[in-house]
Amino acid sequence: MIQSLIKAFTNLFKKPQTIDYPLTPIAKDKEYRGLIEYGEESCIYCLKCEKACPPGAILFVKTENPSANEKNKKALEYNYNPYLCIYCGECVRACPKPEEALWQSNKKPSVATKEDKVNDNWFVLERLKKES
Amino acid sequence: MSKKTINIPIGSQHIALLEPVRFKFECENEKIITVDSDVGFVHRGIERACTTKFKFDGIGYVVARVCGLCAITHSLSYTVAIEKLLGTEISVKAKYLRILLLELDRIHSHMLCLSHTCESAGFEAMFMRIMGDRELVMEIQELLTGNRIQFDYISIGGVNRDLSSEIAQKIRQNLYEVKQRALGYREEFTNNWSLSLKFKGIGALSLDDAYRFNAIGPLARASGLHVDVRNEINYLPFSEVGFVMQTHKAGDINARNLIRLDEIQNSIKMCENIVNGLPEGDIFTKPKGKPNGEALVRFEAPRGELMYYVKGNATAMLERVRIKTPTFSSIPAFSHIFVGEDYADVPAILASFDPCLSCTAK
Ligand code: SF4
Ligand code: SF4
Repeated sequence: MIQSLIKAFTNLFKKPQTIDYPLTPIAKDKEYRGLIEYGEESCIYCLKCEKACPPGAILFVKTENPSANEKNKKALEYNYNPYLCIYCGECVRACPKPEEALWQSNKKPSVATKEDKVNDNWFVLERLKKES
Repeated sequence: MSKKTINIPIGSQHIALLEPVRFKFECENEKIITVDSDVGFVHRGIERACTTKFKFDGIGYVVARVCGLCAITHSLSYTVAIEKLLGTEISVKAKYLRILLLELDRIHSHMLCLSHTCESAGFEAMFMRIMGDRELVMEIQELLTGNRIQFDYISIGGVNRDLSSEIAQKIRQNLYEVKQRALGYREEFTNNWSLSLKFKGIGALSLDDAYRFNAIGPLARASGLHVDVRNEINYLPFSEVGFVMQTHKAGDINARNLIRLDEIQNSIKMCENIVNGLPEGDIFTKPKGKPNGEALVRFEAPRGELMYYVKGNATAMLERVRIKTPTFSSIPAFSHIFVGEDYADVPAILASFDPCLSCTAK
């Protein structure tokens, strides 16, 4: 009991444990699971990452002006939804060329605003995917 | 002449509740006579989604979202069920790493529960203290898995990340610190007057009743019932890493707190043993095939026994996933404990159960 009183008293003079976020940034570990990044030049368009993704946050959809990559025979384009992604890393584990074509960074996604229309734009892609 | 009773509800939204649950108490003066409960306020249809929306290899990530606190137990139970169906044998190292995270999860979940019991007894300073110390565990979890919560660490066939020597060192350091601090809590929980007044002799469950109402987890062990799934299963080598079942006799809130403190110490010991004696080897074995048949898996979540039933039919979509959560199984015991207690003690008793309603309603 006395111990607890002493502890309570000394706590009054301690620095707060909380961090004044966002004024003081929180240090991020380099292994922190963050955004998935894509290197188009190394991708072989095997679509394994798309199949492996549990929430379906990677979609390869047909495009009018495809990349110059010769592996891209079906004129597809990589689309990634950072707001749907759960950062599980399954796509990277499925990719035959991890680190070159697909890798996980420790970056955070930006805050989505209404103007970004993240949902609406993504629904369009999902519809295109279903139709193809 | 019939006695006058009054009905007082608590919930579904209440200041002492962390999650929506509704209890209806019929009280005579201050004493509770009967209890009626409803837990289905956060139903999300996860079981259905598992059989219609997701393929079997992604469901481990879906069921992890059943609960924020014991996410690891959920994904682990599901994964082990699938591994049973596929006949995948995982490496010894992966097994140890799974236990490591499971026990880290138990430590932080018990700390959360302890802090909330303190808060509901009006001891805010202790709440802050435990929550502050809990960060030490969260920090190592983040280092190990890459995320504070929702670890997504378990995959079918093993685990996703290896334990590097720097992380192992950090785990040792932080766990040592947590161990010392948790020993300090013991002193508070046994000797501090404000906590004793609110906890000792309140909300007691006798051994017979624990048995009769099928109590599980810390609730049962605080009453002296020897049940712990870790003692009964063989998918993971719990006894090898130093698991010892903790029991207590009193069965009141204080006993439940002490059980949690004892389990924290035991879990810390298990984690230290794992970190110090981790075998070499792969952490992942590639699984083959599609799940066919039925599997039933049980695990000890921080709150008690968690059960998964999985039925597959050799396609990528499963036929049935059934989740039975610890809080759901404990409801009869909860309701029994309330009877005969003062209404004013309800928040403290409820917090001592450590109920998880999003698990229950899933
Ligand atoms: S990290 Fe997981 S959720 Fe995100 S894109 Fe990859 S597989 Fe999909
Ligand atoms: S798995 Fe890798 S190589 Fe294959 S499509 Fe995806 S990013 Fe490209």
